[in-house]
Amino acid sequence: MNLQRIVVIGAGTMGSGIAQWFAQQMCSVELVDTSEEQLKKALAGIHSSWDKLVEKEKLTSCQVNQMKKLFEIKTLDQVSKNTDLVIEAIIENLEIKKELFKKLDAYFSPHTIIASNTSSFPISEMATAVSPERKSRFIGLHFFNPATIMKLVEVIKGQETDSKLCEDLYQWFDSKEKKPALSKDSPGFIVNRVARNFYGEPLRIVETDDEVKMKEVDRILKEVGGFKMGPFELMDLIGIDVNYSVTCSVWEAYNKEARFAPHALQKQMVEEKRFGRKNKRGFYKYD
Amino acid sequence: MTNVTFDNILINFGFGTKEEKKEILKANPGKEIYMDLTCYNPAEFYAAYPNLKGSFAALFCDEEKKVEVHLNAPSDAFITKLKELGFKPFETSIVSCGFVFPRTIVQIINEAHYALEENVASKKDIDRAMKFGVNYPKGPFEWASGRELYVVTLLSELFQMTKDSRYLASKLILRGWKP
Repeated sequence: MNLQRIVVIGAGTMGSGIAQWFAQQMCSVELVDTSEEQLKKALAGIHSSWDKLVEKEKLTSCQVNQMKKLFEIKTLDQVSKNTDLVIEAIIENLEIKKELFKKLDAYFSPHTIIASNTSSFPISEMATAVSPERKSRFIGLHFFNPATIMKLVEVIKGQETDSKLCEDLYQWFDSKEKKPALSKDSPGFIVNRVARNFYGEPLRIVETDDEVKMKEVDRILKEVGGFKMGPFELMDLIGIDVNYSVTCSVWEAYNKEARFAPHALQKQMVEEKRFGRKNKRGFYKYD
Repeated sequence: MTNVTFDNILINFGFGTKEEKKEILKANPGKEIYMDLTCYNPAEFYAAYPNLKGSFAALFCDEEKKVEVHLNAPSDAFITKLKELGFKPFETSIVSCGFVFPRTIVQIINEAHYALEENVASKKDIDRAMKFGVNYPKGPFEWASGRELYVVTLLSELFQMTKDSRYLASKLILRGWKP
């Protein structure tokens, strides 16, 4: 497999991170968004990040100049139809995504692979928006934030995704310093499913809104378990509302299986608008 | 199980059934006992055996030998002995069935086994995903390797205590439990 031309749709944090990473692999990248302002902001951020990497001697100025030449911001109707891979990284809204996939399917050439960076929707459900000919080339590619640093890419095989395509993408990412993991199209894929207990079990250990106890659980899991962050400080960083929403979505998808049930404290925190670091009120206080 | 005794102190290491652990406490009423209770609820033991002065969770230790310790009263002699034996003790005031780290990690391990059972991904890819997607120091199967008995015992204890089906062990991990 040789991926040379990449289109990334959505210039938010994930989309611009994914686009930056592909450009760093010396792929030709077109970053697309409906907002020109967002595109300019993303481009400035990526250029600034590359300039810093040159200062830190992680990249040479020659490499960065080449990456800058390979990287363009565009609107959808301006991008090359003959691209190898299109990655969708827009808002997590199934209907909006399906509408977009319908357009992408009609726009791009038959050989183009269409991928979603979704963390929550079934790939097979989204594939219903594309033509029967495209379904074998419709796949999930779930990157982790920050996409330029985190090595994992979950390669998700939908019901009709070609197995050979999954293997080829796995090998391609493996050859580019990523750590791909092949996942079935099941709720939460691998990480968002298995990681649920990193939050759920500590919540059941503390049971109540007890900051001292939470601090101790965080400390033990870092000191004894070797985790980089404790569950409570991590939930505060991710956003308690975001984490609660992912938990509920996985729980619903598994027919309210007890293993995935959210804890009452999560719901209470969201109701009290204690979302974490972003509004300075979470499991901890950030005054 | 292994017992280390010095002065009037007995430290009980290793895995044992709940009954075996209780036998040691019953048989040594005059000693100060510190016991590995990784798979059990220390509160239950403290309530019945006043000679139990502290508990610890060493069954999920890796080569770094970091161990979660709960003490009913400060004990320099016990902590010093643990250090002499190569352990790195981290004290906690939380008394929880399975302590903090083992209780959290067995649930992660159990879910990884459920995912494997449902063919979501291979062992290698599940370990890889957790290490490189969320920076876990080890993959769930790496953590579980050789410790299936402890995982199943702690899950069973948590289920007995809470009657919550979230603690039911996956078929795969039950199969991997070789007593």
